[in-house]
Amino acid sequence: MLDVAHISFAYSTRPILKDITFDVAPGEIVALTGPNGAGKTTLLKLLACLLMQDVGTVRLHGIDTLQRPIKYRRTIGYLSAHNPLYNDMTVEEYLTYRVRLKGERTMRVRRRVNEALSVGDLADVRDTRIGLLSHGYRKRVGLADALSTFPKLLLLDDLLAGLDRPQRAACGAALSAASLRAAVIATGHELDEMLNWCTRVMVLNHGRIVAMFRTSDFDRAELLERIDTLLTAPDDAQEVSA
Amino acid sequence: MKAIRVIWLREVRAFRGTFSCGVPMVAFLVVYGWTFVMMLRNNEGSVLQIQSVWGLSVAPWLPILCAVLTMRLFAEERATGMIDLLMSAPIRERDLVLGKFFSAITAVIVTLGLSLLVPALLLPALSGPQLARPSTAAIAATAFILLLQASTWCAAGTMISVLFRNQAAAAVSSLVVCSALPIAVYAAILAWLPGVRTSVAWMPLLMHVHDFSTGLFTTSVIVLYVATALFFLFACSKLLALLRLRG
Repeated sequence: MLDVAHISFAYSTRPILKDITFDVAPGEIVALTGPNGAGKTTLLKLLACLLMQDVGTVRLHGIDTLQRPIKYRRTIGYLSAHNPLYNDMTVEEYLTYRVRLKGERTMRVRRRVNEALSVGDLADVRDTRIGLLSHGYRKRVGLADALSTFPKLLLLDDLLAGLDRPQRAACGAALSAASLRAAVIATGHELDEMLNWCTRVMVLNHGRIVAMFRTSDFDRAELLERIDTLLTAPDDAQEVSA
Repeated sequence: MKAIRVIWLREVRAFRGTFSCGVPMVAFLVVYGWTFVMMLRNNEGSVLQIQSVWGLSVAPWLPILCAVLTMRLFAEERATGMIDLLMSAPIRERDLVLGKFFSAITAVIVTLGLSLLVPALLLPALSGPQLARPSTAAIAATAFILLLQASTWCAAGTMISVLFRNQAAAAVSSLVVCSALPIAVYAAILAWLPGVRTSVAWMPLLMHVHDFSTGLFTTSVIVLYVATALFFLFACSKLLALLRLRG
């Protein structure tokens, strides 16, 4: 479904991603982890068409990001790490605006907004101005927006950051439900939490994929230990310090 | 087309509630009103028609109004990171630019409409049959050239706001491009081509307003403003596309 082949990206002369290749099938939830500066957000931005790779291809159901960007973007849902929202709008107005912007047919907009409100469990704050919402609610609005038009690929940057345990669990449940018809890639450092719902873990370090694990193949503690070892390996540390 | 409308509606709504729209509009109307009255007083007994006075007292302040109205269009989106969400939506850069541009034009149209209240309120107060009421066509022609100029300033302001995250920096840069630059070019022409001084009595931008308000339509002037506005809008959409390249 999502095929990423040999992509590299550099900010001017500073390489960020180097020869990244992987694929994600529908129904998979991939947890993308790695230390700060590993290139997780940049990779997600490339997959969201916000940046253009220097080399390589990204295809979703055969649709190339560079050749048919509008069609590609019609099939993705994206949640940015900063989760920016319009503070002057109410939750319902914002979701309506976003659903319309994503090109949903007029007659379906109301239904999509109600579904998004339901997915994000936002019905009780639908008429509240976004500027008055707490961080957790704002995150749920962002997630509801990303899920609103039933994307085939869901890209979630630092989804769990700043959320308490019940809200993290709620996000996990929402993702598990969404993964029935979409591939999901979520970045973050909260691996212990992410292992509850992800099917694969991808470890990124210094712009390269250094490991990929199927969660079903490993014991939870063993997997956490392996990833921890990978991220704290002396070579890596030297590279970071270099 | 649908995306343009959605963005336009959102921006018009944002204009309604922002400090960066209401205050500049009121300030503009106050300054323009003062200019209008002063111009009436200074031209007492002259043949200057009322629509020309209106146009000539609006035109010098238009670049400032447009710079302030357009400064937040993209600068704010870039500062908050909202630009990422907009660019990940299935819309073309062109639609995004046009939606925001039309919202600024809408604010200008509302301001121009309100500015007509000054002559409308003053005219009945001015006694004497010598002050004939201007025809609707004359007012429309003046509004048309003012709108053309505003389109150019707004297009330039929209493009410039893509370059900045800071709204004040965007506004100042727009002012330099829309106001200081034409004046500098005009001054340079007069300095280097003294012969032109005899044929160009006023600043060309003001002369265009005067000409149109007296029924002197020139196709080249219309083409000039439309082409300049289109150029800035095109450059704006290309700059947005460039953001994808360099992040």
